[in-house]
Amino acid sequence: MTMTRTRWLAAAAAATLFLAGCSGGGGARQAADQPPAAAVSQADIDQAMRTPTELTFWTWVPDIGKEVALFEKKYPAIKVNVVNAGQGEPQYTKLRTALKAGSGAPDVVQIEFQYIPTFTIIDSLLDLRPYGAEALKDKFVDWTWGQVTGKNGEVWAIPQDTGPMGMLYRKDIFDKHGIEPPRTWDEFAAAARKLHAADPGVYLTNLASNQNGAWMGLLWQAGGKPFQMASAQDIDVSVNDEVSKKLGTYWGGLVKEGVIATDPDFTDQWYQALNKGKYATWLTAAWGPVFLASNAKETSGKWRAAPLPQWAAGENKSGNWGGSTSAVIKSTKNPIAAAKFAEFLNTDPESTKMMATEQFLFPPTKALLDDPSFAEQKPEFYGGQTVNQVFAGISDTVDKGFGWPPFLDQTVSDWDETVGKSLADKSDTPAALDQWQQRITTYAESQGFKVAQ
Amino acid sequence: MTTTVTTTVTTTVTAPAAPGRRRSPLLTLGMLAFLVYFLLPLFWLLVAATKTTGDLFSSFGLWFADDFALAGNIGDVFAAEDGVYGRWLLNTALYAVVSAGGAALLCALGGYGFAKFGFRGNRALFGLVLGAIMVPSTALAIPTYLIFAQVGLVNTPWAIILPSLVNPFGLYLMRVYAEDAVPDDILEAARIDGAGELRIFWQVVMRLLAPGFVTVLLFTLVATWNNYFLPLIMLSNPSLYPVTVGLANWAGQATVAGGSGDVIPLVVTGSLLSIIPLVVAFLLLQRYWQSGLAAGGVKQ
Amino acid sequence: MTSTRTAPRRQAAGHLFIAPFMIVFVAMLVVPLAYAGYLSLFREQLIGGTTFVGLDNYVRALTDERLLGGVLRVAEFFLLQVPLMLLLGLLFALALDSGMLWLSRFIRLGIFVPYAVPSVVAALMWGYLYGPEFGPIAQLAGTLGLPAPDLLGGDLMLGSLANIVTWEFAGYNMIILYAALRAVPAELYEAAAVDGAGAWRTAWSVKLPALRPALLMALIFSVIGSFQLFNEPQLMQRLAPSVIDSAYTPNLYAYSLAFTSQDLNYAAAVSFLLGLVIVAVSYTVQLALTRRRT
Repeated sequence: MTMTRTRWLAAAAAATLFLAGCSGGGGARQAADQPPAAAVSQADIDQAMRTPTELTFWTWVPDIGKEVALFEKKYPAIKVNVVNAGQGEPQYTKLRTALKAGSGAPDVVQIEFQYIPTFTIIDSLLDLRPYGAEALKDKFVDWTWGQVTGKNGEVWAIPQDTGPMGMLYRKDIFDKHGIEPPRTWDEFAAAARKLHAADPGVYLTNLASNQNGAWMGLLWQAGGKPFQMASAQDIDVSVNDEVSKKLGTYWGGLVKEGVIATDPDFTDQWYQALNKGKYATWLTAAWGPVFLASNAKETSGKWRAAPLPQWAAGENKSGNWGGSTSAVIKSTKNPIAAAKFAEFLNTDPESTKMMATEQFLFPPTKALLDDPSFAEQKPEFYGGQTVNQVFAGISDTVDKGFGWPPFLDQTVSDWDETVGKSLADKSDTPAALDQWQQRITTYAESQGFKVAQ
Repeated sequence: MTTTVTTTVTTTVTAPAAPGRRRSPLLTLGMLAFLVYFLLPLFWLLVAATKTTGDLFSSFGLWFADDFALAGNIGDVFAAEDGVYGRWLLNTALYAVVSAGGAALLCALGGYGFAKFGFRGNRALFGLVLGAIMVPSTALAIPTYLIFAQVGLVNTPWAIILPSLVNPFGLYLMRVYAEDAVPDDILEAARIDGAGELRIFWQVVMRLLAPGFVTVLLFTLVATWNNYFLPLIMLSNPSLYPVTVGLANWAGQATVAGGSGDVIPLVVTGSLLSIIPLVVAFLLLQRYWQSGLAAGGVKQ
Repeated sequence: MTSTRTAPRRQAAGHLFIAPFMIVFVAMLVVPLAYAGYLSLFREQLIGGTTFVGLDNYVRALTDERLLGGVLRVAEFFLLQVPLMLLLGLLFALALDSGMLWLSRFIRLGIFVPYAVPSVVAALMWGYLYGPEFGPIAQLAGTLGLPAPDLLGGDLMLGSLANIVTWEFAGYNMIILYAALRAVPAELYEAAAVDGAGAWRTAWSVKLPALRPALLMALIFSVIGSFQLFNEPQLMQRLAPSVIDSAYTPNLYAYSLAFTSQDLNYAAAVSFLLGLVIVAVSYTVQLALTRRRT
């Protein structure tokens, strides 16, 4: 009892001292444009990999311990503690609070592509160039490398998996109503009207009103460039330009007509709707096929995969939704071991193959996308179609130059309350795009950015 | 504060002779109708925990499917991620029991102090504590985190237990309770006998306060057991998670690329299992209430 | 009533008894709160770092329409949900206390059990029951040939949330009031019986007045609970993102400011103002109800 009481006293005293001596917690330090640090020599690397070291790795990939074990087998001196600190947003929240407090952050962390700028703006990621990361460039599909590199060529992370977008469709429903898989968005709209008229209980697709990720992927496909950083302080925001408006008018129109659904996704309702055939297609990413197979078992054998419909006939473009990277946190005490771990995990042939075939992460490495044992799998759920091959083909059609804002949480939340809301309420989506633009601009300016529109 | 007549609350069942001891079928039926409402969601949970992933998404929610998968689901829950669910339950029990015991004791000491000792600053301090009930919990979590990070308490059980020890409402309850349940003349008599204040507290007062103590214990137990936000912020090590954060984590995995909806039966079954210990605690502690609060319906 | 005789030794003993609670209270509540207050005087930007801005955050909050909207919404929630919940709790407590129930112990536990259900789980369950197409409520409505109510739509969402909170806490309030009823001195009943009062008269003129302090307390806590509403809307957000926005309740707004907008300082100011609102409302309620009792 007294023991704990002294502890409380100590804590209270420490807190008081901390209040007196601290000036508002570690703020955001601006990442200045620094020249790259000198490369670390191979001797130093060898030395580091032989030194007993403990790394902490935050990730939400299930059972990734197997891949980590491969690394530990190769470098017995290094022990990696795998921690699932939450998936996506909860993990980022923890990471940010840990960074703010200056303790408790991991060495290596799983970060989705779109969040990289959000963490580089607060100068929390380690540039991996000194550790030989530039040499890895050719192993990865072009656009993924564009996603993980900074304005001055910094390498912020190593791609782990991707989500190039395609279309999963219900062949049985299409056949029943005599619909061909649409190759353009015009055909898609016509099919949506035809199908819903024929069967009011079925919608050609569901554009989830809470899924900014899918929207951004479709915008990416349409050639949008919503966020561009001219410098660390200058940001160009254009989420209501011509391309965005084209997208808004198209989808907003279909929603108003009532021929597509806008149910929130990944909810009970949505799972049930997929199982019960309420949606005839799911515009999804390369991780979608496996996900669907385990979540809509009722519909096994009825689905097929195809590329997204195109804006112009004969084009072949796609966008990306989801996928992650491994990044190294700047505060790590073992930068060499951490950087080499991130590299090994995502480039070692055995490790990458395991991730693709056991955790079903869609690979970003060219070697694996071309590997017959991966590409030629014929899942029964898709009637024996080589789905991986379809998406491997799509992966090459994703544009390189799509950028993300340095405050992604805010733009997503604002999208939910403007564009997403307009989809759910069947109100004016193009006008909602203007509101979205307005809200992002206001926020960016309040955070000290110079905004060009 | 209160002007009710102070009476000695004894630990024997003193049932007031209430009029109208006839059992009423009509009233009972009405209450049973309400009971259906209160138990319906739990019935859904029970039904859902017996289903496979496929049946969860395709069969009617309020009735059992053909496959009865409860045993399999429970097995899966405890087998997932090297049996981490069992750890979560143990963590939750540890946090809840230590916090509740500590909080109830602090409240009993403090409530008695405020109720029976007219020291200087009594009212002002008590007012301060009452005011603290109004503080939005979200406002405290982040500064608490930053302070704990400085003293190295983040990601330890203390990060959950220490903040849970403060229960202003419990203090209020114990003060009100002590005012009524601890007669001044008993205290005076003990003092005249030459007993020290602490001895009086342990030997006389605690016995009188027992029902109130158990009530505070129970409420803190529930509050800590159900706490979600604080551990979410404070803990990053899954082997320290309480069951609420663990379940929410699993629920989140249903949306991960390459993850699977097979997690959903885990969430549902895990939710069901997480409720059971508290219900059992209620049942066990009911005995104690009966001593002070006399069981309803047992009236002579 | 506390005795007003205060010997120095008695003073010291009093301090000794409250010391453990007060030490933890200061360390775990006052210090973090002071720190939050300190934070609320600064502004931290992604570009430009931290600057001292005095009361700017408070000025901004007082003219923030989203915050005001949230406060009005929880006030509406309070007026809608609290009377219903307390009335139910009171009815249940009186019914249990009347001694006229069969299975009273089972009923008492059954109504109290939802209180033991974590809000994470409660939101999961009700969210499923509310499902607009495949949820049981909608399906039952369909079987009866009625239009399914859109329980997750903008019009009914507040009611749906009120239902979850009522479900969670009616039993809790029942127990508080029931405990207060058990503490009613037997003499009062005897006196009522001598006067020839029946069960209803006794309930009205003996039990209700005796419940006053407990009801007041339950009411104050409901004020606090309503104005701090957070868990339920936050967990239901995924089901109806276009209805429950980031400023749906003031607490949700503070949370989203801190974690989504990375604006810890403004979030602290918003939380402080919310605390003030709660204090003001609680005080008003207390004053209104204790006026006639001196």
